[in-house]
Amino acid sequence: MRKRPLGIALALAMAFSFSATSFAQTKQPAAASKASSPDQAHDLSGVWFDDHPRLIRVQERYWAYTFTPEAPPMTPWAQAKFNAAKSSFGPHAVPLVETTDPLYHTCAPIGFPIAYLYPLPMQIVQTPGEVILLFEWDSLRHQIFTDGRPHDTALGPLWMGDSIGHWEGDTLVADTVNFNDKTWLDRMGHPHSDALHVVERFRRVDHDHLVDDITIEDPKAYTKPWTAHLPFVLKPKWTLAEQFCEDEESFQTIDKDAAAPAK
Amino acid sequence: MRKYLPGIALGFVLVMSFWAAAIAQTKQAAAATQASSTDSAHDLSGVWMLDRPRPLTVVERFWMYELSDEEPPMTAWGQAQYQAAKSSFGTRSYPLAETNDPIYHTCTPPGYPRVIMHPFPMQVVQTPGEVIMLFEYDSVRHQIFTDGRKHDETLGPLWMGDSIGHWEGDTLVADTVNFNDKTWLDRVGHPHSEALHLVERIRRTNHFHLTDDITVEDLKAYTKPWTAHLDFLLRPKWTLAELFCEDQDTFNEIENNETKPAK
Repeated sequence: MRKRPLGIALALAMAFSFSATSFAQTKQPAAASKASSPDQAHDLSGVWFDDHPRLIRVQERYWAYTFTPEAPPMTPWAQAKFNAAKSSFGPHAVPLVETTDPLYHTCAPIGFPIAYLYPLPMQIVQTPGEVILLFEWDSLRHQIFTDGRPHDTALGPLWMGDSIGHWEGDTLVADTVNFNDKTWLDRMGHPHSDALHVVERFRRVDHDHLVDDITIEDPKAYTKPWTAHLPFVLKPKWTLAEQFCEDEESFQTIDKDAAAPAK
Repeated sequence: MRKYLPGIALGFVLVMSFWAAAIAQTKQAAAATQASSTDSAHDLSGVWMLDRPRPLTVVERFWMYELSDEEPPMTAWGQAQYQAAKSSFGTRSYPLAETNDPIYHTCTPPGYPRVIMHPFPMQVVQTPGEVIMLFEYDSVRHQIFTDGRKHDETLGPLWMGDSIGHWEGDTLVADTVNFNDKTWLDRVGHPHSEALHLVERIRRTNHFHLTDDITVEDLKAYTKPWTAHLDFLLRPKWTLAELFCEDQDTFNEIENNETKPAK
């Protein structure tokens, strides 16, 4: 690795974007995007950030790359896909030039629910018929329709899925189907098929904390449904920054460096 | 043109996407995204579509390629840039294989204000400190901060600009700077530089109509500030669909077709 220490290569070009973003955010001492819904019990709005415990070593933070510390119960099909996937993240990380991550080189949409695993904030805004998740990463938008509509198979297959939700007490239950199979489920390369079915239970446990208990069901890829717990903390002084994936350019630089003779 | 009629080539892949989106939307006979703000005088929320007079030909009816019917007052630099731009739209349109439109092949962000001219709906959502424009096209987001913050030059240069706004009576006045110069101002290739400064006066003239009076100032590209008037119509039964730019794939297909011998 000529110009880049290994640790930075591991973290990918995103690390650069992330630093710039964090810096920009701490510099914006702006008014908070406070809760605005008249119905407080059904108000998830605000800018949220991952709230997993902060371990010292980034390699131990499984949640930066995948949903659970344990490997999910893969079928043989999924195990073969996972073995073939060359991620630049996690314990089996390959150098960037060797990755088969579908996002790189083309900046294809990352999809859902992998969007939760990128180390950038998410803003929730609500309208009377929608809960909208806005991810800082690549300007991604995920709409959960709460207006009573059913799933619409005419829409699929979609990168972000077709998501409908309803309230059970103070919990938003979101059901998402109609995925395409072009994305990884997580950043380590665990797969999913177009049979992926995601059920999420969002609850604002107090003003500053949101939890998402997520169930992954995909009979082609996993032998049984499995669950993960995603905690979020409110960042009242943050707003989303502009962050577009421009990996085409980053990759050209990296590929060029890799092709140059070692010094 | 082998498989593509000239008219279709003119409209490009956006045509296909547009029909799909329109079909999907009419299929979603769902509850409307109605105005939700407590202060209805300052409520721009809803799903909006450009509202143009309806001439006879489909091309004139649906497609808006530039902000104004009148040619903007270009500087010599601006004129040179414009002459070099090979757009596949408008009166000077080039075949798709010859275009140097910056968004094609790479799906780079269209930037602001060009994204307004893409023929897809836009949803406005509001929080106490922001007016957020969500564009169906490529999941692009444009935030106007209304919390009293100043422009922040450390953010720029940005694809969508750095936008702050305040209310003057029932009009949102948005001021946008800190643009990069990687995008065209519109779809026919009028240029802009990093000195681009937009002032928009956005007003909901009645429940169903929104107007945006936009002033373009860019002394490198234009000899004097010039203005345009945009009308939008509320689409109470529409919601935004998923539409990611995947022109890399589309372009590969078109180029493969065009390199084949004519039948």
